[in-house]
Amino acid sequence: MLAIQLAIKNLLGAGLRTWLNVAVLSFAFVVIVFYNGMLDGWNRQALKDTREWEVGNGQLWHPAYDRYDPFSLQEAHAPLSGEVVSLVQRKQLTPVLITQASAYPKGRMINIVLKGIDPDQQMLKLPTSLLKEDSGEIPALIGKRMAQSARLKTGDKVLVRWRDKNGTFDAREIHIAGVFDANVPSVDNGQFWIPLGNLQQMTGMENEATLLVAANTHTVQKTGIWEARDLDFLLKEFNEIMDSKKGSSKVIYFLLLAIALLAIFDTQVLSVFRRQKEIGTYIALGMTRAEVVRIFTVEGSAHSFLALLLGALYGIPFLAYLAKTGIPMPKSAGEAGIAISDSIIPVYSAGMVVTTILLVVITATVVSYFPARRISSMKPTEALKGKIQ
Amino acid sequence: MEKPIVQIDNLTKRFPVGNSEFTALSHLSLTIDKGEFMGLVGPSGSGKTTLLNIIGSLDTPTEGSVEVMGQSIATLTHKQAAILRNYHIGFIFQSYNLLPVYTVFENVEFALLLQNLSADERKKWVMQALEWVGLTDKAKSKPSQLSGGESQRVSIARAMVKRPQLVLADEPSANLDARNSHHIVQTMKKLNKELHTTFIFSTHDEKVMQYLDRIVSLKDGMVEKDEAVLHIQN
Repeated sequence: MLAIQLAIKNLLGAGLRTWLNVAVLSFAFVVIVFYNGMLDGWNRQALKDTREWEVGNGQLWHPAYDRYDPFSLQEAHAPLSGEVVSLVQRKQLTPVLITQASAYPKGRMINIVLKGIDPDQQMLKLPTSLLKEDSGEIPALIGKRMAQSARLKTGDKVLVRWRDKNGTFDAREIHIAGVFDANVPSVDNGQFWIPLGNLQQMTGMENEATLLVAANTHTVQKTGIWEARDLDFLLKEFNEIMDSKKGSSKVIYFLLLAIALLAIFDTQVLSVFRRQKEIGTYIALGMTRAEVVRIFTVEGSAHSFLALLLGALYGIPFLAYLAKTGIPMPKSAGEAGIAISDSIIPVYSAGMVVTTILLVVITATVVSYFPARRISSMKPTEALKGKIQ
Repeated sequence: MEKPIVQIDNLTKRFPVGNSEFTALSHLSLTIDKGEFMGLVGPSGSGKTTLLNIIGSLDTPTEGSVEVMGQSIATLTHKQAAILRNYHIGFIFQSYNLLPVYTVFENVEFALLLQNLSADERKKWVMQALEWVGLTDKAKSKPSQLSGGESQRVSIARAMVKRPQLVLADEPSANLDARNSHHIVQTMKKLNKELHTTFIFSTHDEKVMQYLDRIVSLKDGMVEKDEAVLHIQN
């Protein structure tokens, strides 16, 4: 307690030098919390969006299906067995049939993937109810990215050409029934969503599917030929991207923290050299060298407590404002192929804030201790004279 | 008969200087009784400060024995030496050694903080110590706002506040003018009389010497002369 009292007094007595260190450290603290909060917010939002828009609670895949290999689509389809149909009827699974196709918007040809989905499904957030129109044409849903790249809009008609299960080409005009806005590019880029029944009929793959999406109440497990793909598998790439983002952000924390800690270390080294007389006086007044080391260490680590207070002073309003308004993301961010919304709402979890506080306090204490440790080898008689030892 | 407060027998202190050694004190023996107001005098390098440092448990003898209040300085651990200094020995330094960020009150209070006294007790003792040295009105001042004489009086208050049995004053008047030198030595003399505190000075200031009851002259680390001073009172 005495060490803390004395340390705070010495620290505040040092004036501007203290506040410069504290300001730098508080900035590092706020930036670390902000950056972590932003990544956590992005992570949570993207995972939620990806589950809601694309992967559900897991999927069952045809064994030949490879989401990165369009050639696999030719073989990756099979009829639904009785067991699977029963799960579909109980709304535990929804089938998706996928095939390659070409579209001809405004006379240009673009490669697309046609995805058939039940218009009545409610497992995914896709507005498939728009596919229920009864105009005699095949309705299609496209995402805003697809709409932008193909220059299509709701109400447009576009010629689509595909191959049926026998490899025969067929073509038909499709009507754009709606354009959805999803933060998940993998349900949008290069994709046309049409009613499952239409696609099955177009390809001659009656009652067939490429994969089945599981409802939140259903846990996927291998069913007949269908391979279970859980969330860990389906979100592997996304998690790897987040891990790599977190890794690179750690470099930024390290640099910021290193600058702040270097300033504290420097101040401590300077203090130990400049305040020899004071150190000698403490010992003459009845302190042990270990107690003086403790005062200097606490003094250094107290920078971190003042930094937390200062950081809280300007950081809390700033971070709360961002948590309310979100951090706007550039339009092009979604083009990178990862799920990202127009603005990220940072999430500051108690665990993350406490971890950051501990990180800042512990590292500040460690860098304060090392220069202070030198005091334990000082001769008090020399220190009293102010001689550099 | 009361045990001496400081008992020094055959003390030698050597310091390494490069590859050789410098002998600061050589076979020095001295007995100092409780309540003495005595001084160590001698030219620079005669060993005055070294002797004070050893008596104050800031340093240890190379040979011989030094007992302060019955405790052998050579065998004290860091912790025991710190306790001895904290409870029983007060220091007054030539350059005052006040802690610059603390007020006068806090500087004087510091020694008591280490003794875990209550805030009320500390306040009472500090104000009394400041009264002894006539600085109650400067309690809230910072050392930078004090004159040399005032700073040394704060240093005396700090040494005396814990009512130690022994006060070691290393050239306390060296940085003071004549008027302030007389003033601070008179203050210490008064405290010596009132509280029976033993004062040991290292000095070569004639103004200080005239107040001493005993003068021990050192030369080349040895006692050259040890004489009691008779003060003729008007």
